[in-house]
Amino acid sequence: MKEDKEELKELEELKKAWEEECLNPFLNHRPERKEKFVTDIGLEVERVYTPLHLQQVHFDYKEDLGFPGQYPYTRGITPTMYRTEPWIIRAYSGFGEPYACNERYKKLVDCGVDEIVMAADLPTQVGYDSDHIMARGEVGKVGVAIDTLRDMEILFEGVPLNRLKRVSMLGNSFGPVALSLFIALGEKQGLKPSDFVVDLQNDILKEYVARGTYIFPIRPSVRVTTDVVGYCAKHARHWYPSTLCCNHINAAGAGSTKAAAFALANGTCYIHHLLGQGYTIDEIAPLFSMFVDERSDFFLAICHFRAVRRVWAKIIKENFKAQDPRSMALKITAYSHGGETLLEPVNNIARITLAALAYVLGGVQFLYNASYDEVLGTPSEEAAKISVRIQQILAHEFGITHTVDPLGGSYFIETVTSQIEKEILREYEKVEALGGAISAIEKGYYIAAIMDGANRRQREFDKGERIAVGVNKFRTESKIPFGAFRIDPAIEQKQVERLKQVKKERNEKTVKEALEYVREVAKGEGNLVIPCLEAVRAYGTVGEICDVLRGVFGEYQAKEYYDAKR
Amino acid sequence: MKRKIRVLIGKVGLDGHEVGARVVAKALADAGMEVIYTGLRQTPEMIVRTAIEEGVDVIGISILSNSHMSFFPEILRLLKHYKAEDVHFIAGGIIPAEDIIDLKEMGVKEIFPPETPTSEIVSFVRRLLDLD
Repeated sequence: MKEDKEELKELEELKKAWEEECLNPFLNHRPERKEKFVTDIGLEVERVYTPLHLQQVHFDYKEDLGFPGQYPYTRGITPTMYRTEPWIIRAYSGFGEPYACNERYKKLVDCGVDEIVMAADLPTQVGYDSDHIMARGEVGKVGVAIDTLRDMEILFEGVPLNRLKRVSMLGNSFGPVALSLFIALGEKQGLKPSDFVVDLQNDILKEYVARGTYIFPIRPSVRVTTDVVGYCAKHARHWYPSTLCCNHINAAGAGSTKAAAFALANGTCYIHHLLGQGYTIDEIAPLFSMFVDERSDFFLAICHFRAVRRVWAKIIKENFKAQDPRSMALKITAYSHGGETLLEPVNNIARITLAALAYVLGGVQFLYNASYDEVLGTPSEEAAKISVRIQQILAHEFGITHTVDPLGGSYFIETVTSQIEKEILREYEKVEALGGAISAIEKGYYIAAIMDGANRRQREFDKGERIAVGVNKFRTESKIPFGAFRIDPAIEQKQVERLKQVKKERNEKTVKEALEYVREVAKGEGNLVIPCLEAVRAYGTVGEICDVLRGVFGEYQAKEYYDAKR
Repeated sequence: MKRKIRVLIGKVGLDGHEVGARVVAKALADAGMEVIYTGLRQTPEMIVRTAIEEGVDVIGISILSNSHMSFFPEILRLLKHYKAEDVHFIAGGIIPAEDIIDLKEMGVKEIFPPETPTSEIVSFVRRLLDLD
């Protein structure tokens, strides 16, 4: 230790000498482009990092890093990471009605996709059938329309769930219905839950501040979300019933550190709810994963992912007293997107590739890429394929996956990882001090942070400080491109007709009884997955099941009347 | 003294992405306009009624759900139906270039794609009303 201190002292002197003899004379005739290089989260990136920075953040190899596969999992959650198996390559896909979408799925599987994330249309996401008045004009637009199990059967025709490494949908507002759709589809394909893996986003709290696909008021919604986790804890421990989302909160404007803190606070709320029902921390913590995001800075993203793993491990171990290492090792999902531009959209391939590379260097488990044409609308087949190919190139060419945590030990990476860790924890504790996630949402704390950031980002873009190449710098094109992928408007009618047909063919009595069972359980304290599964099996519709739940829980009414001058 | 420009910023349909709408609302308010933001999940009927009740000069709709070809013509129809054609209708969001041409022919005054500086929207709204 004494030697270390002496070495650092010597280094400090050397640094001073370098500044005087080398740096300052250089700056005199070649000044830097900017006075400060500040990131989206407000953290200033310095000119050069040295062991002196590590000393400032009290970096300790054993405590802060250790080895991959061991607490606090900074370097990765398994000892070999991608040397054993690359991350899971996901494709987020869905449009129109199930037949057309099924064709796309088969092509994606042929390209070697590991996981299909089924994008459902907005009516489905908020629990309306395709024939509901609020669904008019929206059926099949941002995703595929799913009214009943029949649509799932068509959608996954020729795509056995056990051929994929995971199958997924968001299902944020009605997790029990989403889970049931996959369990029942598996049954139709002759599969048991142990034969395949389901992954859901199923994180309702962020919807109230950043994504908007809510149905029920906040408190019953927390039960709806956590019932899915509880069910899987008992019946499918290898599934991923809830993904705590930083992504949307950051995208909306909060910045990645606050987004991670809020997502962790949301997770804390779910965990408390489940502990209150008698589950132990080690029964439930391994079932959560996180959807982590830092889209504006390559190196920051790498540091951020490492820091989030460390924060999760510490909170789960120290605050919740978990003992099982699987509880502490955080599995991370990420989505390479964010900086894509509408002008010269092919350039987005470069942006998406860099984002994906950062997430891989940060140790991601489940990755999907935006399509370069997504800014125009629904991805074309070619663009969707390129997104998959980018990941396969990263996984199998260029040697990126040969060593674990390749940037670990960098003065820069370790300093910033420690700084971010501290900042996430500070923000997390602030939310907890406000009374936790629900209270922070109700007090407007989340939304204030989001809007402050969103307005700041827009200001920076308007002033040209936030550069989008080809848009506000080096611009050559004046018109946005033609050629967006089109959704056939006739599909709404087709979908409504199929829904009618399914209703005609099903056993009404069984459906009625199942829906009554949903109502009964919703009024009591039982797990909602069980009756929802009955209803889905009987070809009860997503809208019918959600209507029963609306009857018991009510509907969320956004209270805030936004003050634009704030 | 000149009357303040009144603008209604709205979200129509089930689309839950509202940051763009709020950012534009703030930019217009910062530029001295009176801005009403409707919040999420409005129908065209709700939008037009609120616009008339609040006596706004401009309706601005943000949309990312690819449902503009259903909702926008309906808003224009309702404005006509309620004899409120003097209310200007502008929009922003993810709208294909082909549709922008069609919608402008139908009567939408302007459509602002992503990557539009807010100052451009502010000056467009001002021009829209000064020229009347």
